[in-house]
Amino acid sequence: MTHSLRTALVGAAAVVVFSSTLWVAAGQGGAAASPQATQGGGRGGRGRQAGPVEPAPRLPDGTVNFGRVPGEKGVWAVPYIQNMAMYVVRGPGSTELLPEIQAAQQARAGGGGARGGGGGGGRGGAKSEPWMPWRPWSAAIYDYHSANESKYDPEGYCLPPGGPRMMATPYQMEIIQLPEHKRIIMIFEGATHIWREIYMDGRKFPEGDALNPTYLGYSIGHWEGDTLVVETRGFNENTWLDYYGHPHTDMLHVVERWTRPNKQTLHYEATITDPGAYTRPFTVAWDIPWRADAELPEYICQENNQYLYRLTDDFGQPIFGPRPQPGQRPAGATSGTR
Amino acid sequence: MRTKFAVALAGLALLASIRPVVAHHSFSAEFDANKPFKMTGTVTKVEWMNPHTFFYIDVKDEKTGKVTNWAMEMGSPNGLMRNGWTRNTLKIGDVVTVEGSLAKDGSPTGNARVVILAKTGQRLFAASSQGVTP
Repeated sequence: MTHSLRTALVGAAAVVVFSSTLWVAAGQGGAAASPQATQGGGRGGRGRQAGPVEPAPRLPDGTVNFGRVPGEKGVWAVPYIQNMAMYVVRGPGSTELLPEIQAAQQARAGGGGARGGGGGGGRGGAKSEPWMPWRPWSAAIYDYHSANESKYDPEGYCLPPGGPRMMATPYQMEIIQLPEHKRIIMIFEGATHIWREIYMDGRKFPEGDALNPTYLGYSIGHWEGDTLVVETRGFNENTWLDYYGHPHTDMLHVVERWTRPNKQTLHYEATITDPGAYTRPFTVAWDIPWRADAELPEYICQENNQYLYRLTDDFGQPIFGPRPQPGQRPAGATSGTR
Repeated sequence: MRTKFAVALAGLALLASIRPVVAHHSFSAEFDANKPFKMTGTVTKVEWMNPHTFFYIDVKDEKTGKVTNWAMEMGSPNGLMRNGWTRNTLKIGDVVTVEGSLAKDGSPTGNARVVILAKTGQRLFAASSQGVTP
């Protein structure tokens, strides 16, 4: 073996190791809550980009622009955050994961294979996340979702992710600021091709039953320097906080903080307060890379969701029944129902 | 040396490109990552649709001669297009070899991870919903 070939192989091996590390960091076990982790090209997610770090663009009025520069493409390539409990930081404004999480990540890395991925392994239920401020019922339902590997995830029904999970479901999204309208629109490719409106006009939340519970809630935002702060109330109970099935109630109250530390990176933070499900608030945070060459494609989840036709209950019985053939009524359908 | 390094990097870029790009339903509730399969058959139907593209292949049991129609699940059309597919990549009558994971319920259903086209030998990654598996 020549010296140059050996050098090349060692170099390639080093890159493989380095790349695998990034891969792990980009996946479930990521310690990459810090914006620094993705500076230099958004390597922490799927939007791999070469080139120097550019400053965040700004609108003519000086506000940070969370969207495109005129004449360019680009979308945010939302990462797959399957288990938000692994992204809990010390508190609002912090990018440092809880020490218990760092220890859990190291234990998993040493355990070989199971690193909390959705594809199998690593699902330990509420006991495996002792830092989460469980109530007895939320721990119990989380154990159920853990044991059946998120079989009844509402996203499997093509329902919206809802809440912070919109920023944890791996489809692309855009943020469109309309300062003259005093509102910000967020549009999402998936999981259900939905939009979200943030009111920036200084209004108050509707009171009592006027605040009708919805999947995405009612969002009011304001600027704190270069940080967009969005407060959301009025969620319904039809969603999970994440793929792993952390539950929430309609008492859920979320404060999100968005920053764009550079052109390629969106830093996302959400403080989740839900006294119905958790005994104290907790804050999760991660980075979202910019994918400069992309535009949002259409995605209609309901088109051919065969998962429903194969879905069974805990006793193995079909929930919706087999796929109806043309001209045939769905199994179990009777007149006047639904 | 520089060329070899570039080749290594290109390989890594390819590796990186097969990271999961879809999330719709729970992979592990439906498929068993510990039951990998590799089978060859003839395409009978393609459903280039959301949230998952399906194609169906007739697979012949070499011993009994019995033909079984298998359903193969892949990612969404958007995810597949980011992996180099188009709606015309697979056509009825094409012979393909599929690698993936079997359904847990024992039905002739698989989650395709890689599809190899017999006529060209081209390997296509299926934007599988099989996420971060061991």
